[in-house]
Amino acid sequence: MTPAGSRAGSPAGQPGGHGGRVEVSGLTWRPYGRREPILADLDLVIPAGQRVLLVGPSGSGKSTLLRALAGVLQAADSGDLSGSITVDGQPPHARAGAVGLVLQEPGSGVVAATVGRDVAFGLENTAVPRELMPSRVRTALAAVRLDMPQDTPTHALSGGEQQRLALAGALALEPTLLLLDEPTAMLDPGNAAAVRACVGEVVEQQRLTTVVVEHRLGPWVDFADRLLVLDRAGRLVADGSPRGVLAEHGSALADQGIWVPGVPDPQPTSVPSGVFGGGPLGANVVAVDAADVTVRRSVRTLNGATHATLAVSHQWLQARAGQTTALVGPSGSGKSTLMLALAGLVEIDDGVVRAHPSLAPHGERSPRNWDTVDLARAFAWVPQWSSSTIVARSVLDEVLTTARAVGLVETEARARSSALLDLLGLGHLAHADPRHLSGGEQRRLAMAAAVVHQPALLLADEATVGQDRLTWSAVMGIVEALRDAGSAVVLTTHDDAVVTRADRTVVLERPAQPGHPAQPRRSLVARCGPLSLLAGSALAVPAGVLAPHWTTSLAVLATQAALAVIGLLAPGEGPRPRGRLTRVLVRLLPGVIGAASVAWSTWLFGTRDLEVAAGAALRVLIIVFPSAVLIPFVDPDALGDHLAQRLRLPARPVVASAAALQRVHTFGDIWAEIARARRVRGIGATPRSPRAVLAEVGALTLGMLVRSLQAAANLAVAMDARGFSTAYRRTWWAPAPWRRADTVVVVCCLLPLGVALLG
Amino acid sequence: MSTTNTPTLTERRSASIRASRPLMGWRTVDLLTITFLGAAFGVAYWAWGQVYSAPGDALSALFPPLAAVVGAPWLLAGVVGGLVVRRPGAALLCEVLAALVSMLPGTKWGFSTFIAGVLQGLGAEAAFAILGYGAFGIAAAALAGALAAPLEAVYEWFTYWMDWSWGWKIAYLLILTASGAVIAGVGGWLLTRALASAGALNAFPPGQEARDHRAV
Repeated sequence: MTPAGSRAGSPAGQPGGHGGRVEVSGLTWRPYGRREPILADLDLVIPAGQRVLLVGPSGSGKSTLLRALAGVLQAADSGDLSGSITVDGQPPHARAGAVGLVLQEPGSGVVAATVGRDVAFGLENTAVPRELMPSRVRTALAAVRLDMPQDTPTHALSGGEQQRLALAGALALEPTLLLLDEPTAMLDPGNAAAVRACVGEVVEQQRLTTVVVEHRLGPWVDFADRLLVLDRAGRLVADGSPRGVLAEHGSALADQGIWVPGVPDPQPTSVPSGVFGGGPLGANVVAVDAADVTVRRSVRTLNGATHATLAVSHQWLQARAGQTTALVGPSGSGKSTLMLALAGLVEIDDGVVRAHPSLAPHGERSPRNWDTVDLARAFAWVPQWSSSTIVARSVLDEVLTTARAVGLVETEARARSSALLDLLGLGHLAHADPRHLSGGEQRRLAMAAAVVHQPALLLADEATVGQDRLTWSAVMGIVEALRDAGSAVVLTTHDDAVVTRADRTVVLERPAQPGHPAQPRRSLVARCGPLSLLAGSALAVPAGVLAPHWTTSLAVLATQAALAVIGLLAPGEGPRPRGRLTRVLVRLLPGVIGAASVAWSTWLFGTRDLEVAAGAALRVLIIVFPSAVLIPFVDPDALGDHLAQRLRLPARPVVASAAALQRVHTFGDIWAEIARARRVRGIGATPRSPRAVLAEVGALTLGMLVRSLQAAANLAVAMDARGFSTAYRRTWWAPAPWRRADTVVVVCCLLPLGVALLG
Repeated sequence: MSTTNTPTLTERRSASIRASRPLMGWRTVDLLTITFLGAAFGVAYWAWGQVYSAPGDALSALFPPLAAVVGAPWLLAGVVGGLVVRRPGAALLCEVLAALVSMLPGTKWGFSTFIAGVLQGLGAEAAFAILGYGAFGIAAAALAGALAAPLEAVYEWFTYWMDWSWGWKIAYLLILTASGAVIAGVGGWLLTRALASAGALNAFPPGQEARDHRAV
């Protein structure tokens, strides 16, 4: 054992004091519900400062081992764990942040709304005083070469930047052991190289012990000192210098599906002729044509504001029968959106999308206007997130869903389904519940389900992500067989092996975003914190209830209106804020309708007394009106700070609530994506059938819940890796001051209550 | 856990798997699951707030207190939160967060939405507390759905239905309680089971129950 870093007292992040020696003995992990353990009696010693590359076929427990080393194995899963793991002689979580973990999916570990605050998350958890945070955050961001302002919103970062942000968040806690779980698997080549360069620099400078899990070894071989290979049963089967292990076991590893450098790319599996019949279009005929297409996407945030971005700007794309088109470009360049536009699955703001006349039902050439069955017959789409689009309870039924919706002959569809499932290595799972398959298996299942009715156009979003060499061959074999049968294929991809095989490649650039207009002046109430705004809204409830008579209610409402006008004034320099009145009226409209309906039912079914009805309506308006004015100015990000620091609510539930609030805007996207997947599979809701609409709403709600629970589980792992599990007493990045404006707004909101009491 | 073969009510109760000890030892994943569930319900609540008035008005044209039936879906979050995490406070936190999320983009009721969330959450929480955080079957869920209603109904008496006769007010309370038991209680129980069998609750007692069920 190295003398340095072996005691908790020596600050491991100190220059020269680097530790990070890992000892694993007898580690066994069996999640509940599995017969066989994922890791079985594993022994491993990693000396301080070593760089380990950990590989193995899908399902060999690589990611599981990383989570075990980080001490977060049971953060989001439950099972039988035995054996021991120590880092410098201590359990991995003895010092929060001693072990840094970066997860595969960019953004899955993002906790906060801004870059600076996200990096500071671990510092908050370990109760670092606020005044020391900025310098440590700056240092960590500089180490990963992120040079944007610290108040940049995290959702505006590209995938590669989000991975570097996650790395910075780990580095801020001065880890001695750094764990990277396929950090570049979901990135384009440029971003992947940038992330690898950052990791290389940081590990070199800080002499961190590092374990990288990757299934594409090539780019990491020069980085690593040691290569560890796990087999499917979770046992260590090879251990040594990367070159040595690859020389000895290289071809065996490739045969198991691992992407070994130097071994030529696999060939697509040949699909027996006869699986697919002849296509509807002649070779090279344009199946769908997107001309000069522009798509804007708007994100609606919690406080009702919308942020529009330009997703696709004046792009052209043709999908030709019998050809594969690869759409490439950095993340954020609009590949997925352009693909969706091609199939009429998103609203386009400018340009034309037209299908070939022979595909157009009833002469309607714009796919956006087709009904769900017509769309499914011609087009298919494999989304990147295939898990949430599963609709059936067996793998075979899942594959047959679209075939049944479009009325394919059942025997023919079944024969083709079996052939496809066998090819994709899913044949033995035909009667399994598709929701219990692994992510890679679900992606392959989605591919089979998309092509079984032989659509004229196949769209696939990153179809080869996470596939090993064997399944890669099967997926590409099916794609090329469909193409050879005369379908048009469009693939978005970061995978060079896919691009090389494509007939045509279209490169997209990130569209230039319109510049931000000058910041308008702020209303007076915008200067208040969230607690005073909510308190002001709350005071309206007793004001409404206590007003004894409708004349008093009218006086209360008049007082509120006068205060609202003052509160919305925006004195000062700069452009005038727009739409203040409209925003209040829009928010008030439902309240007005509610007031009218209360008045109506009070009058009609009650005393038939107009004065009583008017009183009831005014009461509702008094209760709602201040909320319509004040609540739009509540900043959800600041709410957590104030609840914890001002009201002294327990820190961990508040942080968890803030993390959920800052993800809410993504739920709408999930909902839209599942709706899209159902539509293109022929089972979307049609207004003709109320039952189908109800079934759709149920399926979408369940799908949204499942996805948000998965996000919660991933975030739990990321947060625990940054010291959240013990953060009962923590510090806060942002202060939560109670200003004079807060007192003023509360006093003002007491005025209508006073009027009600005096009246 | 019981060794007898005759299924009794108490035995079925003890068949619920409790949260890991200590009950107040909230794991990070417990907290995040509750807050994410709450936020997702909040989005759904907001959407329901946009469309509920059509069926609501139709029902109140028959008999005004029947409007309570369309109020029951707003009681779901507390029931589901309690059923999933099974720790003290889960039902309350889930319902309150759902109310908060549905309030921020703007609803008909303004801040009243938040007060309603607290009252409904307290009701559902009370049900799980009465059962000692040890029973999470369909009957417990129905109780939670039912108890989520009374405080809310009384609050509405004083804000919206002040001018109704006492008969109608009582009828409103009873109808909200009954539809809470069915729509939020039984509905919430079914939803929790669906989430568990979708594999989304593996780290939680309902996920474990679903696995045991499959294993049989």
